[in-house]
Amino acid sequence: MSDILKPASVVALLTLVILAPSIQDMLTNEAYKYVDDNESAHDGLPVEWENKQVICVFFPADSPQGEEFSNGITMIDAEGVELGVNQDLNGTGACVGGFEGYSNGLDFMMDSTRSARGTLSVGYDVGQWGHYVHTIGGLNADAVKGDFDGAYWNLEHNGGVSMVGIGDLVMSEGDVISWSIETW
Amino acid sequence: MYDFHNAALSPNQSLFLNVAILSIIVLSLIRSERSLRDQSQWGMLILLAVFGVSGRILLDPIPNVQPVTVLVLLAGAYYGAPRALALAATIALASNIIFMGHGPWTLFQAIGWGAIGLVGANLSNHIVVGGRIRIGLLAIIAAASGLAFNWFVSLSILFEADSSMLVPYLLNGLVFDLYHAAGNVVFVAWMASPLGEMMARHRSSPAFELVREGAPN
Repeated sequence: MSDILKPASVVALLTLVILAPSIQDMLTNEAYKYVDDNESAHDGLPVEWENKQVICVFFPADSPQGEEFSNGITMIDAEGVELGVNQDLNGTGACVGGFEGYSNGLDFMMDSTRSARGTLSVGYDVGQWGHYVHTIGGLNADAVKGDFDGAYWNLEHNGGVSMVGIGDLVMSEGDVISWSIETW
Repeated sequence: MYDFHNAALSPNQSLFLNVAILSIIVLSLIRSERSLRDQSQWGMLILLAVFGVSGRILLDPIPNVQPVTVLVLLAGAYYGAPRALALAATIALASNIIFMGHGPWTLFQAIGWGAIGLVGANLSNHIVVGGRIRIGLLAIIAAASGLAFNWFVSLSILFEADSSMLVPYLLNGLVFDLYHAAGNVVFVAWMASPLGEMMARHRSSPAFELVREGAPN
């Protein structure tokens, strides 16, 4: 039994490694059928961004970036023009919106944050698990210290926890993605 | 001055490097096992823990392929549930604190692997027959344990997400569950027999157990 199992198990694992990306795509599309879009994801955003793609970044209030956006959430359009600040949203940061036609989350993130002219610049690593965003707007999650073990940039998609990383995120028209620091 | 230590490795280079390091560790552990006294069960468990922690950390480039599940299954079969539970919790805690990230999921992993050790202990008479491991049966148990372990640990997302997220989360992680199951079968095929022989050498003798059980408190 062991003699057959040795080569067979290695072949099975290698086959899985080769087929994994296409199986994963299929499963991700299937999984999205079970996720309800949060219709309130556009609440508090400019009305002209309705049905347009938006990215929001929320900084901790006590971070240098949070102090820069201390008035609330700054709304920036696709041309980089500041539309205003929503002080009613509970947070400090910025949303960049008014985009359309993006299907890949990473492409959208990189292009949209460029509109903020450096204040939301993104740093990420690529590993076996995919793209890992460690820095946004100069704030590296590892540098966030407090009464917790660690911190990371958490991705939400239409108001719910994203099941995939930004590199695998499939976007539709009107989608809102947001990043905030979470701790453990 | 050149910054030689700042070289960025590709995932494949990183995996190759880690497998080389793990090979050195495994060879050293095999040599160390030979110098252990017979019936030195705790010495053997420490070697298994070192292998489990280093294997889990160094094989990180291949998602979910690591030797821990098979180690606790075998520990349960050879050394019983309490020692397998101790091994499972030690490996989960140590590898998470050192490298993988410690959080609520560590508890789920410790319980999950502990339960697999319990399965190994309960099925001991079926897994080890006449001093030899039934590789086919162990491979099936290990593959099923890999899937069950991942689904159990996935429950830890309920701390942060709504229960409606569980089904899409499990569905989305199915490839990683299959990695775990397939990896377990590879480990059973290649290392269960030699590991079983080593573990059998360091089992307490039945006479020793009888004396211990009969000793007054």
